[in-house]
Amino acid sequence: MTSRRHFLGGLLTTGLMPHVGWAETGNPAYLSAARLPSGRYALFGLNGLGEVVFGIPLPGRGHAAAAHPTQALAVAFARRPGRFAMVINCKSGQMVSRLEAPEGHHFYGHGAFSGDGAVLLTTENHFNDARGMIGMWDAKDNYRRIGAMPSGGVGPHELRLMPDGETFLVANGGIETHPDAGRAKLNLPDMRPNLSYLALNGALLEQHQPPVEWHRNSMRHLAVHADGHVAVACQWQGDLAETPPLLATHRRGQPLMFHETGRGLEREMQGYAGSVAFSGNGGEIALTGPRGGVALIFETTGKLRRQLMETDICGVAAGGSDFVFTTGTGRILVGAAQERRVHDCQWDNHLVAIG
Amino acid sequence: MMRRLLVLILLVIGPVSAVADGKSIPFQEIVEQDILPGFAELNQKTAIMADETESSCNAADLRRKYIEAFRAWARVSHLRFGPSEQENRAFALAFWPDPRGKTPKALRKLLLNPDPDALTPEAYEQVSIAARGFYALDYLLFDPEIATLGTPDQRCALVRAVARDIHATAQDLDLAWHGYAPVLTAPGPDAPYRSGDEVLQVLYKSASTGLQFTADMRFGRPLGTFEKPRPKRAEAWRSGQSLALIRQAVAGSGGLALRLAADDPVLASRLDYALTRFDQSAAELGDPTLAGVSTPQGRIRVEALLNDLNAIRRIVDQDLGAHLGVIAGFNALDGD
Repeated sequence: MTSRRHFLGGLLTTGLMPHVGWAETGNPAYLSAARLPSGRYALFGLNGLGEVVFGIPLPGRGHAAAAHPTQALAVAFARRPGRFAMVINCKSGQMVSRLEAPEGHHFYGHGAFSGDGAVLLTTENHFNDARGMIGMWDAKDNYRRIGAMPSGGVGPHELRLMPDGETFLVANGGIETHPDAGRAKLNLPDMRPNLSYLALNGALLEQHQPPVEWHRNSMRHLAVHADGHVAVACQWQGDLAETPPLLATHRRGQPLMFHETGRGLEREMQGYAGSVAFSGNGGEIALTGPRGGVALIFETTGKLRRQLMETDICGVAAGGSDFVFTTGTGRILVGAAQERRVHDCQWDNHLVAIG
Repeated sequence: MMRRLLVLILLVIGPVSAVADGKSIPFQEIVEQDILPGFAELNQKTAIMADETESSCNAADLRRKYIEAFRAWARVSHLRFGPSEQENRAFALAFWPDPRGKTPKALRKLLLNPDPDALTPEAYEQVSIAARGFYALDYLLFDPEIATLGTPDQRCALVRAVARDIHATAQDLDLAWHGYAPVLTAPGPDAPYRSGDEVLQVLYKSASTGLQFTADMRFGRPLGTFEKPRPKRAEAWRSGQSLALIRQAVAGSGGLALRLAADDPVLASRLDYALTRFDQSAAELGDPTLAGVSTPQGRIRVEALLNDLNAIRRIVDQDLGAHLGVIAGFNALDGD
């Protein structure tokens, strides 16, 4: 613990060093926000073994982060409904830019860079129209706002770049919120989540909704494999006694597929999936359930293969040929052997893979 | 020690179902003495209100009966699962908060483009959910602008349609909760709830979320910030019921928490004390619409009442949650 604090202090005095690559920050494989025992928040870089390679203080609770594809820059988003995001130089630990949501917008906590790192996209709520928007920021010009396009639905949450480097995938969760009503869900009776593929010019290329009887199955988090296979994690907003499948998968041009566990494990998950990821070898999909304290691991065909019981498990990303998981109790579970490493912090929601 | 043991023995003799760790939860009492009578009362009070609209559309009698029915709803408004969740019944009674003003917008549309066919009971179920329920009536009966739009006959027809629709929903709820009672009292492997623990979880969540909604919305919206208080965001301020609804809601959700604490007499008495204290402070506040949030003195008093509510919430979220073994983790609680 002392060594990390020393490390943190050291980073903060190093100053700004533009255009450093990830290698110069100790080659982190992942980013994750966390809450510290002091009650403060920080963004950490972790290596493939789940060891901390850098840590940077955050002003409040984070949600997800977006990693620049080449430069050692991370964008840390405030928790929904946050109005700002910070672009952090992960070598110096300093903020190089601050993104302020435009008047009438707030962030949802996720974003992604274009393949060449030139543009940052952010999911946003234009709250007086309850319209989902994707904000665009010029990463080459100090993150100047260069425009916005409709997200194709209400409540866009996670946003991912497709392997072609040009198409973006958005999970429009379908839930209307308004900052004047905090986190209250305002439209559950008629919510309609969808999965939308968008081009950088704003064109809606393809869109899929869950079946009408599952219109309360909020599609929130995404994983994209290098071959274009997409996995979607859902959060059921209806009665818990009728929980539908929480995992969906998709390929461009094909129908959206939902995958039941067949064993009522959706109930075990309490109708709530927190994160989703493909395994390093691409053969499996992990769906985490912090409320049920369980992660479900599926074949990519959607057949349930195994489950992993772990309190407050939520963050997940590919690791080696398998997965790395993080938990709200500070644990990091690495690889097939699920080697456990315990940190003195609470890992927040998402584990973001770099590169 | 002996006396506590005796109390414990007496407590577990009642009709209870055992859940994990040998805890005894009085599911039967919760259903038969709180939930079912609560929805029966709502059914009855809304019937009286709907009947009244046959003879008058905005008289003092109707307003009084409306207020009684609305309070009966607030008492059971924390039970947002099962029959209340199905067919969006809870939303059809209570579309609030409404930061984008959908309710007044929908009502203006109905009054300015009157369509008698849209006001039949079957048709009214299909109008925008924002134009249904108690908050719609709050505008129709108490808002100076809405209550004078269109002709008196049009307004009267709309008031009647909304009141009848509320009663139809309340009647459905009463019936459906009666049908649902065994689901809560007799869980089983093939039933919607597979164990007493799952029933416990949904009941605990209702109590805890209900108290949170009252703190965040019923208090939080009018309090706004110190620089910018928002008295016009209080719930049902037009009809002057903001505080009365808070008292009913806390009695309903807090009362459920108290039932769940029954097998720990010390915890139960602490919670009981906190609930009593809250209700006494609320009775003494003398600010039915929470308009006081705009003045330094009034604000301190509303904040003090919120502190009393937060004392209840701490007991429920921490001590009761730990006692029942249902405490949620850092990520589990986040809901994002």
